[in-house]
Amino acid sequence: MEMKNNKDMHEHSNSSDMMHENHSKRAEHNKHEHDEHAEHDHSSPVEDEEISMWKKKLFWAWLFGVPVLILMFIARVFGIEVVSDTFVIILFLILGFPVVFVFGWSTIKGGFRGLFTFYFNMDSLIALGTTIAYLTGVGALLGVVQDYSGVAAAIMAIFVTGKYIESVARGRATREIMKLLELGAKKARILRNMGGKNEVEVEVDISEVQIGDIILVRPGEKIPTDGIVVRGESAVDESMVTGESMPIDKRKGSNVIGATINQDGILYVEANKIGSDTFLAHIIKLVEEAQSTKIPIQKLADKVTSYFVPAVLVLSVLTFLGWMVFNGDLSKALTSAIAVLVIACPCALGLAVPIALTVGSGMGAKKGILIRKGEAIQTMKEVRILVFDKTGTITKGKPEVVSVHSLVKEIYMLEIAASIEKLSEHPLSRAIVNKASQDGVKRFKEVKNFKVLRGRGVEGTIGKNKVIIGNTSLMNERRISVMEVENKVEEFEKLGYTTIVVSENSKVLGIIGIADALKDDSVEAINLLNSGGYRTVMITGDNERTARAIANAVGIKEVLANVLPEEKAKKVEELQKLGEGLVAFVGDGINDAPALKQANVGIAMGTGTDIAIEAGDIVLARGSLLGAVQAINLSKATFKKIRQNLFWAFAYNTLAIPLAVAGLLHPIIAEAAMALSSISVITNANLLRRKRI
Amino acid sequence: MKKAMMVIHGMHCASCASNIERSLKKIPGVRSASVSLIMKKGSVEFDESNSAGVTEDEIRNAVKRAGYEAKSITFS
Repeated sequence: MEMKNNKDMHEHSNSSDMMHENHSKRAEHNKHEHDEHAEHDHSSPVEDEEISMWKKKLFWAWLFGVPVLILMFIARVFGIEVVSDTFVIILFLILGFPVVFVFGWSTIKGGFRGLFTFYFNMDSLIALGTTIAYLTGVGALLGVVQDYSGVAAAIMAIFVTGKYIESVARGRATREIMKLLELGAKKARILRNMGGKNEVEVEVDISEVQIGDIILVRPGEKIPTDGIVVRGESAVDESMVTGESMPIDKRKGSNVIGATINQDGILYVEANKIGSDTFLAHIIKLVEEAQSTKIPIQKLADKVTSYFVPAVLVLSVLTFLGWMVFNGDLSKALTSAIAVLVIACPCALGLAVPIALTVGSGMGAKKGILIRKGEAIQTMKEVRILVFDKTGTITKGKPEVVSVHSLVKEIYMLEIAASIEKLSEHPLSRAIVNKASQDGVKRFKEVKNFKVLRGRGVEGTIGKNKVIIGNTSLMNERRISVMEVENKVEEFEKLGYTTIVVSENSKVLGIIGIADALKDDSVEAINLLNSGGYRTVMITGDNERTARAIANAVGIKEVLANVLPEEKAKKVEELQKLGEGLVAFVGDGINDAPALKQANVGIAMGTGTDIAIEAGDIVLARGSLLGAVQAINLSKATFKKIRQNLFWAFAYNTLAIPLAVAGLLHPIIAEAAMALSSISVITNANLLRRKRI
Repeated sequence: MKKAMMVIHGMHCASCASNIERSLKKIPGVRSASVSLIMKKGSVEFDESNSAGVTEDEIRNAVKRAGYEAKSITFS
């Protein structure tokens, strides 16, 4: 896997190098564009800016902080008085001042503003803790209290360090998502017609590309936007967008996706989607939206977080008062109160859920699994029943006529059937029309009174003859006897063919067997799910026998046959009512929208270059069933991390706070533990990457 | 229902995010607000029926009130 990623990255940089090269040639009169290009090399400006800010603070804070720590250490452990007490206190106050109030100024400022405006945040706790500790130094000079001013500098230095490590780790967590945002090409080379046959190649900014422009894509380059190949042949690496690892062959008429990489041939692509309509733009939108949805478990964490800071402030005051009342030692009361302030930051708690979600959805995006609703991750673990739509999900969705049995002249029957079916957009209709064309039907007859009988067939009149084409139940409904072809129908259905009866004036002309090949990895995917203990169910409009044959071929045990498209959602609901566990529906998102919504988790197949955004909770950019298996594994792994993170964050707080209240936790140790807890939560989330999905 | 997205600067802890959410929700007409600490982004959904609607300034001020800075606010 790693190897592959490296390869991807290599190719990316290759292509962008190429662009660069082209660029520098024009750099002189194109300075502005060049700048723009250079800008996009930064991964995430906000994140980078933050990392370098904390890094600077970290350096300076420790430059002054280390001498403070050394002095404290010597004084405490060895009890050696190198210099007089008063001198040490003054030294602490001098060294500590820049650490707390200069390098930590943004924290102090934000914290106190928070306190005064009642927008308490974690800075409020640190600001209060360090300021009080610092003031003990002043108090000590007046002989009121023991000196803890050194502690202030140490707390701030550790705090800054924690923030630095956290920002680096967080940058890593968002790596995949950031990469996705930068995936799009910045430039396109389009052909401009200069009159007659004179075509000129012009390099333009991606935003200037119009629908209908012909784009030239050389080997190794990124395809700038979605379009159709009009000339040339090549293989295209689509892995960065769909997760499909094998390059896809493209020739005239093939759809190509923007941001994918042309491998070995020159392609001329006619742009058909630009800007926010492209496949990549849709993927980015999905992933970004998911980042701002909240999963149920997070609402709990958020609630706790929002009450946490005020509660800690109160607790800290109570700790101080408690010690003063029962012990009377002002110094002890102050250090305990400070320890409570600095340890009880809800940071780890607040990060626990979103950070795991970010890593998880980033991993998914890389594999073409787009988690639209974070909630699906939590729901997935309860799913026991998986319902699959047949056409386009288990099968390729490209039905072909594989067998014809005719009682009249075959070409006559095909001509009649195709003339009527030509008016329908249904895939089965198209299969029949294709077959007729292949067999030499050139002219289609005029059809009147055409009607689609949803889920059953079509009807119309040709000349004076009434033609009804559809499944056997439609024939029964219309009282058309299928006696003559009954055996043949059974034979077709046992082979898994969808069988269409053609009738003219209530008399059967013959039957057409249509088969839709299984997708390459459907069998493997269903096997994995079956052995994982899931109840797998196939749902289809086909009749029992046909459905059963296909279900057997793919390994699905249960079949819901003869289901009209509009009944799919109801069937899902019935399964939900069994109470055996939650139900996930896997469908192609075009006619399955109600079922996808009804299911507890809707997994929509993005087929080809189209993505049905509104349909599912999880969208698979590549229409493969193995993607569904990966989506399930990823959801479960991510949720496990979320739970682990929440457990540690909660456990840490419930354990540490009582210790701090009891005065058993030195403020410096408390701050170190606080920083570690946030870092460990992020690190744990990053470990999710090790999971194979 | 309209939506505004923004990039938020200066956020570094979970309570920051929930403070900003709280402040954004106080803008009249705002139905929901959601801030992602990790992506440093925020979004608000609001009613269009409200004649005034929600302005860029209102959003900027709400974020500022909580102690942070909103940039590149876009409406959709």
